[in-house]
Amino acid sequence: MADFDDDANRLVLKLVFYGPALSGKTTNLTCLHDQLQPELKGEMMVLETKNDRTLFFDMLPLGITAPSGLLIKLKLFTVPGQVAHDSTRKAVLSRTDGVVFVADSQRNQSINNAESFENLADNVNRVGLDFDSLPMVVQFNKRDLPDVLTEAEVMTRWSKMPWPVMFASALEGQGVIESFRELLVQVYQSIDSQIGLQKSHSLSQSQFVLGVLGEGVGDE
Amino acid sequence: MSEEFRETLPLMDFDRELGLVELLGGVNNKKLFDSLSGLLGMPFCICTTNGDPVIGTREVKMDSRLPLRAEMETVGYLETPTDLADKSHSAVTYIELLLHSGARYLMASTLHLHAVKEDYDKLQEKHAALLESESRYKDLAENLEQRVSEQVKTIESTQLQLYQAEKMASVGQLAAGVAHEINNPIGFIQSNLVTAQSYVNDFSELTKQVETGDDVKTTRAFLQEKDMEFVLEDFQGLLNECIDGARRVSVIVKDLKGFSNVDRSEEEIIDINEIIQGVCNISVREITKHAELNLNLAELPMTRCKPAHLGQVFLNMLLNAGKAIKESGEISVHSSLEGDRIRVCISDTGSGISEENLKRIFDPFFTTADVGGGTGLGLSVSRDIIKAHGGEIDVESTSGQGTSFSIILPIVS
Repeated sequence: MADFDDDANRLVLKLVFYGPALSGKTTNLTCLHDQLQPELKGEMMVLETKNDRTLFFDMLPLGITAPSGLLIKLKLFTVPGQVAHDSTRKAVLSRTDGVVFVADSQRNQSINNAESFENLADNVNRVGLDFDSLPMVVQFNKRDLPDVLTEAEVMTRWSKMPWPVMFASALEGQGVIESFRELLVQVYQSIDSQIGLQKSHSLSQSQFVLGVLGEGVGDE
Repeated sequence: MSEEFRETLPLMDFDRELGLVELLGGVNNKKLFDSLSGLLGMPFCICTTNGDPVIGTREVKMDSRLPLRAEMETVGYLETPTDLADKSHSAVTYIELLLHSGARYLMASTLHLHAVKEDYDKLQEKHAALLESESRYKDLAENLEQRVSEQVKTIESTQLQLYQAEKMASVGQLAAGVAHEINNPIGFIQSNLVTAQSYVNDFSELTKQVETGDDVKTTRAFLQEKDMEFVLEDFQGLLNECIDGARRVSVIVKDLKGFSNVDRSEEEIIDINEIIQGVCNISVREITKHAELNLNLAELPMTRCKPAHLGQVFLNMLLNAGKAIKESGEISVHSSLEGDRIRVCISDTGSGISEENLKRIFDPFFTTADVGGGTGLGLSVSRDIIKAHGGEIDVESTSGQGTSFSIILPIVS
């Protein structure tokens, strides 16, 4: 679904942080904004919130230029997690190129996680995307809190699923970049097969990932 | 653009790439121009990446051109005659703040429209579904009466068929006995007639003898030989027997006929005892295999009733009583007048009915007989008939000692 504009020599990718209310999606984005140093980094756009809850979305734009001169813009969005905002969530999700599902590790949040994940699957289908082939990472956030599911417990439930499972503490800046890196790898492969990033734009997977993360793109 | 047409336009993507013109769309151009003029203190022009001026003009030669960035990309330029480093950069920052703010507004409002449209579409769907179900219920309500009356008709006709089937079943049980009843007189009538035929031959020979014979002596000898005195006497006897037999057959046929016309079931003013008598006549052979039948009928006033229906009730009672007696016993039918009502009591000294079954014997389809042995409708139909006559039917039974049905009918003149 990547938005490739040949005239402007620009590729826009949309990545969405999905998950139940208060699972730390905005915190993930803030953390990426603070820690990443890519070639291009726009201002983080935070829309109206109410009691720390996102009503519309948050957006962080990042960008790199491929050796071919192609500008690759990545727009990172969060969705409102509250059940009532389903229509907004669906609109934000449309045409997405990848998803980080931010789950809340606390024991009492398992049902909310499951419902939100089901809602994600529904909405992905409703906006006309294929859930099985959509690049996705599942992140269990809030590892710093007491009374969370152990990693073993999470893995017994999730290891049979096709998506990589990551553990994070976004407030402490732990695991957020790692989750994002996992997603970038999948996104690269998906986009490469669609428009030939390596072939037409001489951009390798590691150049892409390191470039977006701002880790030594200058060295290459 | 008409309102309707505008509504059918597809919404633009909320996260589309926004150009300079769109981003400045919400800003008052004159105020922006005035404030930038004040800030820069010289002519300026804000133009798109294609060079099209958006705010300000290029009346003088523009030597300085600074990019305006939105979302990491250059969306336009600020052109001034010279680059006044600090002032120009302040102006660029100022404009970029406006662009960012414009983007925020445009994205949020478009996303909001998407969400509203989505919610509206969902409401429309629900509304359509509600309308459909409403019209379905309306149809149902309109047709309900008709459908109920159709159902009632179906049930009534089924019920009538069941009642008739029950009637046929009772009559069927009698068939063998009735056939025997009719066969007996027919048998001796036949044999008598054969004998009578030979007597007629004798008479015709006698006639010849009288016509051709010469003397009385010979004729007398002939009479003696044929024992004509006996023949005449016996002939008379034979005919009397035949007449009696035919009468018996005709009585049985008449009683049977009373049963064959459930549908006609016309009301008649009749003596209930007559119905009891008729039923006993046709069922006596069936029920007296093991039992003795005692009738004790009091004199009753005539009453208006449906004889065929009451006959069916009495027949049911009698057949049940007959079945209840396995080896030997007594069935008694007793009629009496109690004030303005007639009581008919049919009791047997048979096996009786258990307390548990007694509660259910009037229920349709309840039967203790093996499959095929009974419809389970006999008593149910009987109760309906008695109720239709404004009467009551009761049962008392002791297991192992016998059962007594008591029927009370009002006298209708």
